[in-house]
Amino acid sequence: MELILNILGAIATIVLAFTVGMSYGGIVRKITARVHNRMGPPWYQNFIDAFKLAGKTTAINHGIMQHFGPAFIMVSSIVSLMIVPVLNGGGWFENLNFGGDLIFLLYIMVFGPLGMALGAGQTGNPNSAIGITRGLSQMVGFEIPWVMALVALMVQFDTTSIVDIMRIQNESGTWMMFSSPFAFIAAVMAMLGMFRYSPFDIVGAPTELASGPVSENGGKYLLTMMSSGSIFAFVKLTLYVDLFMGGADNLIILVLKTFALYMIPVLYGIVSPRYRTEQSIRFFWGWPTFFGLLAILYAVFV
Amino acid sequence: MEMIYLILVLFLGGAVLTWLLGKISPIIRDILFISSVIIPTVLFFMNVEVGHDVSFQVLGYKLSWGISYLAYLFSYIVLGLGSLASVYAVAAMKGKKNLGFFYSNFILSIMSMMGILLSRDLISFFIFWEIMTWSSYLMVVFRGKDVQKVGIKYFVFSAIGAYAMLMAIVIVNSLTNSLLISDLVSSFGSFSLSMKWLIPLLLLIGFAVKSAMMPLHVWAPGAYSNSPMAFTSMFSGALSKMGVYGMIIVMVSLVSYIPNGFWLKETIAWLGGITAVGGTLWAVAQDDAKKLLAYSSVAQLGYIIVGIGIGTPLAMLSALFMAVMHAIFKGNLFLVVGAIERQTGTSNLTEVSGLIRKMPWTFISALFSIIALAGIPPLGGFVGKWMLYESLIGSNHYLLVIVVFFSSTAAFLYSYKFLFGFFLGQEEKEWSHIKEAPAMMVVPMMILAVATFVLGTFPGLVLNPIDNGLQELGFASTQGRYWEMSALFNEWGNQVMLQPLVYAIIAVFLFFAAFLTIKGFKHTRYVTTKDISSSGEVPKEHENLTFSQNFFQPFLRAVEPFMKRRIDTYYSGIGNGLEAIFDFTRRIYTGNGQTYALYAVIFIVVLLMFKNALFGL
Amino acid sequence: MVGSPVLLIAIPLLAAFLIPLIGMIWKESVRLIPGLVLAFMLVSSASMLLYVTNNSTIIETIAGWQAPWGINLVFSPLTGFLATLMIFLGFIVWLFSYRFKRNVDFEPAKKYFIFLMMLVAGAVGIVITGDIFNQFVFIEITSISAYALTAFYTGRNSAEASFKYLLMGSLSSSALLIAIAIIYSQLGTLNMADIADKMYLMPTGYKITALIFFFMGIGIEAEIFPLNGWAPDAYTEAPGPIGAAFAGIVVKAGVYAMIRLVFTLFDIPNSMQFLVVIGLVTLIVAETSAIKQDKLKRMLAYSSIGQMGLVFVAFGIGTAEGVFAALFLMLNHAIIKPLLFLSGSYLVFNSKEKKISEVNGLGKHMPITSLLFALGAFAIVGLPPFSGFWSKLSVLTAAANEGMILIIALVLIVSVVEIVYYFRVVNRIYFFEKSDNVVVQKPRINAMIAMLILGSIILVIGFDPDIVSIYLHKASHDLMNTREYIDNVLSIGQSLTK
Repeated sequence: MELILNILGAIATIVLAFTVGMSYGGIVRKITARVHNRMGPPWYQNFIDAFKLAGKTTAINHGIMQHFGPAFIMVSSIVSLMIVPVLNGGGWFENLNFGGDLIFLLYIMVFGPLGMALGAGQTGNPNSAIGITRGLSQMVGFEIPWVMALVALMVQFDTTSIVDIMRIQNESGTWMMFSSPFAFIAAVMAMLGMFRYSPFDIVGAPTELASGPVSENGGKYLLTMMSSGSIFAFVKLTLYVDLFMGGADNLIILVLKTFALYMIPVLYGIVSPRYRTEQSIRFFWGWPTFFGLLAILYAVFV
Repeated sequence: MEMIYLILVLFLGGAVLTWLLGKISPIIRDILFISSVIIPTVLFFMNVEVGHDVSFQVLGYKLSWGISYLAYLFSYIVLGLGSLASVYAVAAMKGKKNLGFFYSNFILSIMSMMGILLSRDLISFFIFWEIMTWSSYLMVVFRGKDVQKVGIKYFVFSAIGAYAMLMAIVIVNSLTNSLLISDLVSSFGSFSLSMKWLIPLLLLIGFAVKSAMMPLHVWAPGAYSNSPMAFTSMFSGALSKMGVYGMIIVMVSLVSYIPNGFWLKETIAWLGGITAVGGTLWAVAQDDAKKLLAYSSVAQLGYIIVGIGIGTPLAMLSALFMAVMHAIFKGNLFLVVGAIERQTGTSNLTEVSGLIRKMPWTFISALFSIIALAGIPPLGGFVGKWMLYESLIGSNHYLLVIVVFFSSTAAFLYSYKFLFGFFLGQEEKEWSHIKEAPAMMVVPMMILAVATFVLGTFPGLVLNPIDNGLQELGFASTQGRYWEMSALFNEWGNQVMLQPLVYAIIAVFLFFAAFLTIKGFKHTRYVTTKDISSSGEVPKEHENLTFSQNFFQPFLRAVEPFMKRRIDTYYSGIGNGLEAIFDFTRRIYTGNGQTYALYAVIFIVVLLMFKNALFGL
Repeated sequence: MVGSPVLLIAIPLLAAFLIPLIGMIWKESVRLIPGLVLAFMLVSSASMLLYVTNNSTIIETIAGWQAPWGINLVFSPLTGFLATLMIFLGFIVWLFSYRFKRNVDFEPAKKYFIFLMMLVAGAVGIVITGDIFNQFVFIEITSISAYALTAFYTGRNSAEASFKYLLMGSLSSSALLIAIAIIYSQLGTLNMADIADKMYLMPTGYKITALIFFFMGIGIEAEIFPLNGWAPDAYTEAPGPIGAAFAGIVVKAGVYAMIRLVFTLFDIPNSMQFLVVIGLVTLIVAETSAIKQDKLKRMLAYSSIGQMGLVFVAFGIGTAEGVFAALFLMLNHAIIKPLLFLSGSYLVFNSKEKKISEVNGLGKHMPITSLLFALGAFAIVGLPPFSGFWSKLSVLTAAANEGMILIIALVLIVSVVEIVYYFRVVNRIYFFEKSDNVVVQKPRINAMIAMLILGSIILVIGFDPDIVSIYLHKASHDLMNTREYIDNVLSIGQSLTK
């Protein structure tokens, strides 16, 4: 019985994440268009796209690895969703998070990209592979400040558990973004790379790489990838909220907080040109890493 | 006859017989080879028990053989990987020249590793250590490539390490009048301060060479990639672990008792961290899969050294767990490269591509190993990595954790390069005739691949023997205690820790796999890798769409400043300088009789002039 | 009494004179007789060694004149051990060079074996004589036959090498004579035991001067730096087996003479340190020179010099352990280096230049010879489980017990150099491609047997060093115990005078 409830809870979480993520995606398209002085699609355009893709029949495949690639990336999104606590104080949407281990999360988050990279690799499309090498390289770039920020948090509170960090924030009443500002700055700068909006969008580089890694996928494959991306965006935002903004007591607050956070990479991206890969790597190893170091020093000595 | 003697004699006799009788017919040779690896292995696991020592005297030195819990753990690596690699070797090396030589060296190196593990005294340890060195050296030069450069470099570094160790051994003998390792440990506290530093340092040099720690690693990439892959699997998987084994004993039993030895541990840990980063960056830059894996081995051993250097129980646990895992996945990856090299004739990532449909089993085992290598859950690599981070944070090594994390993230790059280069990408015509490797090669690889999975789900299988070994070294039992430090392990207890997660992963995967497959896959048709969207056009057959040159060029450009300096060049500089000096001393012998007579006269004149200073009573 | 030491000298000398005579009747006898003689000597010497190991030293007086007046021969565990070793090597060299070259004429073979017999006789004489002037005479006999053997090939180079050897040898003889004269003028005796007994009577200045002249005289024979200039040339130009004989017999005799002086005759403590220093210098200079050589035998020669340096270092440690280690080293060197010379001489058999590069790829064409060379190389650099390891270990242990850590470090660093040049050659043999103009010479069966004997000894000692350690322990005890030596020798004389 408990198991069934758990599974139902998990499904509810996934549906929530999917909906929120997809909506955000649509809203971002709208905002971007408005900033560019265009009309832009409606905010629910992503849902339309998803249903359209779901309805399509898949005509071709490039082999087994490509076939299962989207499943790999879905595993990564959903399992990390299961681990990140959605709301404060457990209860609903608790899923598999039992304290939510940050290190485990870090690693399961790269499981998907790697699986997808393999799938994209099998298509033989050189653009996919180029996109992947860029993506992986960039990942090495932004992981450094991101991990530094996380280590700073772990040091400060002597735990690797997300739930513990949320609890401590609630008990002390201050958000982490105020009590350890450098970690927050480093993490937010890393987030810019994580969401791959400009100036870090060379991975997908729509014009010259034809969307990079996903270029050979259509129909259900693309649907799965797209949903996975949406869920993943939700996971990442929720994680940031959990870690730096004291989590959320209910869904409305969660949505507000995540949306506010989401605007940072989006708005920064709209007004930025594109970096080349090595430039973006150097960017991440510059100021963000410096702030990461500051954060660790701050955590150790203050 | 004592079982330990019997096992070593069987190995040795097997080596000799394989060589001699192998000349009669290849079948006899193969059978002899496999049986002289397998039979002692079986005997060992069935009959040798921890704590049963045998001892005897040679030249007045007391030698003692037996097995400890820690060594027992490593013997799993040596004998397990050894047996699988030997089965693989028979198929992989078929038709090569000098096989008798190869096989008997193979057996000898397994024997020497077992000897190291069985040694309870320093002299037999050293003897087996040296046998291991030269038997592996003969493997490095086996293919006759770059022998003067790579081979001599390997042997010189090994010799420097071994002689540092030998120096420590004779000093220990003079101080304690005993060569038993237990006596060294028990009387270490009474040594003078300088000896307390000197002896562990010398021993560590020896072990650091074998475990390829910076800055003593320069031999490794060449030596690993130069040996036949069936042996490199052992070389990187098991042989380098002997350095780890020794290092653990030294760090735990000796360095811990040095006043301020803390700093030595820190240094070692940092060197390990630097090794990990350097190895990873260089691995990313390699185009030859063997070199790539070789640098990757250097990097992976860096993590293990970090764990040993930190020295907390959890760090030790992680170091040993990673040692076992590394033996499994890196051993397997070298086997994979061997299989590919055998089938295609090259191991260059820029030449081979698109083998996934030609060699599916090889691909699967490579995939598992790569996932384990990258430390991605749910396979075993993650457990070790996780414990390492946990212990680094727990022991306040915040910068080191960043260093390690950087290196393990950058490891994704070469992991992907490896898989993509061989198996994915364009399926070129050139490789369309390639077949899957023979079953005798695939089965060992698959066994190792399954092992990565099993250990990811049931890490307790290895953690328990590790725990025994650690208790023997004087650590309190870690059973459950340190595994509970994280919420992750806490919730699930020990044996079943990762299972719900693994099941969740499998369930989600299966669900989406089904989603993608049902009502869709049947109607799809497979298209070749030429049939892709290239800006809306379908590329022609002859168009070269393989992307393999300069694979990670942007990344390498970004890290260029770090890679400008190579330690190798410094060593060559030293080497050249020395050769110049040697050339100078050679000129002392002018070949002129008059000069020699002059030397003699000068000799006696000087002696007579300074006779009182020299011999004055 | 199981045999007589005097026969060990007399028989080979006699044989040397008889060979040409009998050779006139039956040509083959020139080749056969030395073997028979050496075999007999080996059996006799070995049985005496067994006897003295378990019983007392054999002391033989010549012509009824007792010590300290007459000449006496001392067959102690030390001298017996060395004598047996030399005779054994003489036998091996004979076995190897029995028709070393198929087309060797009667005339060269006659000379060759005459000088070989004299060489062995002289070397054995150096070791077992108890009289210092007598030793000088034997040194001369050995040297003269060595000069002759160096010039055996009668080419320009061999003549030059032989001449250099002769030049240094004459310096050596003069120095020795001066030293002996000094001692005789001061003590009035030439008997070693007697000299040792009375050494305290000698004024320090004379004593030191005599020792220095001895150092020079014997140092030349024992190849210490800087007196060893002749050695590389002589080793290179002499026939291969003679190189083996030099390394195994002549040098060993020189070393023995040196240590007998330092340990027994003179009581100057600093001479030990001198041995260590001069040994180290010799070791370092020789090994570093060896690495840059391009001729195989020349490289082996330098290596041999270096090993002798190490032997002196070990003796210089001055403890029983050190002496044990040094003797063990001498034993191993006397087995391994001849093996290297013998197999090496086949590896470069047909080449004019005897270059190292000419051994390329011979591993496939002469597998057993190559394997034996590799075995020798592995053993000489001290890799376990071969015999060289145990002696190196003993040296290091002995040094460590005396706290000579710097020396250990130096010796080990030099060992790395040694590894480099030996392994370069082994690599060439096995992993390089043979050039077409190198003609392979298969070893003859007798040569093969000789090499296999040496090879198997390396393995046997390597796996069970204890089969020789008892003799070595006895020998080192014998050398360390000066008083016992003096008493043993003089007691016979004293009993007569009383």
